[in-house]
Amino acid sequence: MQPNIKTGITFGIIGGLLTFLFGGWSVAVIGCFMGIGLGLGFGGRIEKSTPFNMAKEASKPGFTAAGVLLIVSLIQNFVIQGLIGKSQAELNTFIFSNLIAFLGSAGLTCLVVSFGGYDKKKEQTYKLALLAAVVIAFPFVDNFTELRWTAQIIFALIFVILGLGLNIVVGYAGLLDLGYAAFFAIGAYTTGILSSPVHNTEWNFWLVIWIAAAMAGLWGLMLGAPTLPLRGDYLAIVTLGFGEIVPVLFKNLIDVTIKEPLTCWILPLFRIQTTCITFFEHADLTLGEKGISPIGRPYLPIIGEFESSKPITWYFLIVALILLSVFIINRLRDSRLGRAWMAIREDELAAAQMGIDPVKTKLAAFAMGAMFSGFAGAFYAAYIRGIFPSVFDFSASIIILCVVILGGIGNINGVIVGGLVLMTADRLFLPALKDFLTALLTHTVLPSISNPAVQAAVSANANPILYRFLLFGLTLVIMMAVRPEGLIPNAQVRAELHANEEKKG
Amino acid sequence: MLELKDVHTYYGNIHALKGISITVKDGEIVTLIGSNGAGKSTTLRTIQGLNRPRSGTVTLDGVSLEKMEAHKIAEFGVAQSPEGRMIFPRMTVMENLEMGAYVRKDLTSYKDDLEHVFSLFPRLKERINQKGGTLSGGEQQMLAMGRAMMAKPKILLLDEPSMGLAPLLVELIFDIIKKLNEEGTTILLVEQNALMALSIAHRGYVLQTGEIVLADDAKKLMKNEDVQKTYLGVE
Repeated sequence: MQPNIKTGITFGIIGGLLTFLFGGWSVAVIGCFMGIGLGLGFGGRIEKSTPFNMAKEASKPGFTAAGVLLIVSLIQNFVIQGLIGKSQAELNTFIFSNLIAFLGSAGLTCLVVSFGGYDKKKEQTYKLALLAAVVIAFPFVDNFTELRWTAQIIFALIFVILGLGLNIVVGYAGLLDLGYAAFFAIGAYTTGILSSPVHNTEWNFWLVIWIAAAMAGLWGLMLGAPTLPLRGDYLAIVTLGFGEIVPVLFKNLIDVTIKEPLTCWILPLFRIQTTCITFFEHADLTLGEKGISPIGRPYLPIIGEFESSKPITWYFLIVALILLSVFIINRLRDSRLGRAWMAIREDELAAAQMGIDPVKTKLAAFAMGAMFSGFAGAFYAAYIRGIFPSVFDFSASIIILCVVILGGIGNINGVIVGGLVLMTADRLFLPALKDFLTALLTHTVLPSISNPAVQAAVSANANPILYRFLLFGLTLVIMMAVRPEGLIPNAQVRAELHANEEKKG
Repeated sequence: MLELKDVHTYYGNIHALKGISITVKDGEIVTLIGSNGAGKSTTLRTIQGLNRPRSGTVTLDGVSLEKMEAHKIAEFGVAQSPEGRMIFPRMTVMENLEMGAYVRKDLTSYKDDLEHVFSLFPRLKERINQKGGTLSGGEQQMLAMGRAMMAKPKILLLDEPSMGLAPLLVELIFDIIKKLNEEGTTILLVEQNALMALSIAHRGYVLQTGEIVLADDAKKLMKNEDVQKTYLGVE
């Protein structure tokens, strides 16, 4: 079989599996995404020629994938839906959505590949334009088709920002940080404390988000200063410690008294009568395990206050934050500081001999990385409308690290893709799989089991969300074995990992 | 002028340098020869602030270096082509050279200096976009020297530039060292290849188990019987 056709079938099957779980209109959206993905993945493999010829070449895998998707969609609607006890889609809707899926996936594959036929600059522009169109159109399409994915995609995008921030620390400066969620927590709690009616401090979100970022950055400096002279494993262990301490700290900030030391303690020592200035007395800053809720939300003229029922506004806010982050991080990477980070990552001793101050440079990476998680924290707090200490535990740090490693250490595009893939799998795919399995079992296997205890056990354990971390771990193990450099690798990391292999072609 | 006065350096309890005094005047090539473990590299590490002297002083142009941090010393004008080269393996040749110029505040002559490095090492220009780690040993040595030159240092420390290189390449490297010196760079050269080192140096020091046993003009050292027996292999 031709490799082109094989790639087409693989993509068609992946798209088909997703369609299987979601059903309905999802086939159209998945089809379009599949087409773009196939085009991007496939484009590099086609010999460069005129755009038309390249598109013609791409039509083979494009239509194969579209065909596979259509077959799966037919089976899903006419066989599976009945099996899991759901009604089939309306015929009109079904035909229309599948038509979009078929033409959209094949057409987009050809379109994306044909961009390769233009010169580099034009190709970039066209790809960016298509990407912008997809990003802007997505929430509206989602709204129209009633898939309700936007709310979950927003979570994925929060992790994209966190990944981008951690990428500065781990990817650029080469410092393994196992407690990154601590800074996420600091950003979120700063927002919670400053803009919650619980504290009668309803500051404006647009101000608080900057304060949150600054606070996280400041804490990055404070935590980094004593620890960054350490190297490698030792640093990782210390960051692990901080990651554990910070959530516990927030859990226990429930009875805080802050007095001004000069008037309260020092002057009385010399028997000088003053009135003691007290900032807080027995203040419950974080409300412990209960968490802070509600938290103020952003407000914009025309749009009004952001509401949970309208995820589109939140979606565009986080997209804007990501664009800002990508812009800043790109500029940082190409700056003098960015070069210093890379030199430190390569060889700290040699870097020092080039005149780079290792501690200052590492501290800058730590603080910058922390700052971006401050942004993410502020957004998260406002979006969820409440923050709870358990969210920021060790597993959060590990998931963010997974995003960076899975996507490709040191590569911005890689981290964005990694965040989207990992978190949509976690937030969309797993719950859908759970619903699907439950429905399937209740209509097929469960009625045939006579023993009620076994029946209960089967239905309780057929819940993939329970195996979330197992699946995370499995994904990482497979990735490290098959593609250790990540989905979209950084050129330097790839060079290192594949230094001993012969170049093909 | 670089001056070491009665420098004692330890690795834990091991007394590695037992009171070393060296001067390198501006415009000189001074070489430090000796067998393995004599303390040659330790002397360079002490100058650079990677090891701290327990007693004694290290000064460059009258400024004391012995308590300065390593990166500050580099900034002050000490550049080196270290033993084992220590180039950045995953950066390109160009990026490595750029890192060399990191300490410079005045970049007006940056382009000319780059051209100058490429004129001395045309091989580097051919490999400009190649990753440092994929270069051959000789090319890495050239890169390490070129990178040190990009810093425009007050003094250039060269640690075993001939190590592991083919004889033809060794000659080329030493020609370039001589040329660099003629252009006004002060050089402290540490070498096991005593013959080559003494042939281009103005003065030389012979180091033996952490002590300086001989110090003289390079030409006189070459004629010294002990040196001939021990380091030049003359029967």
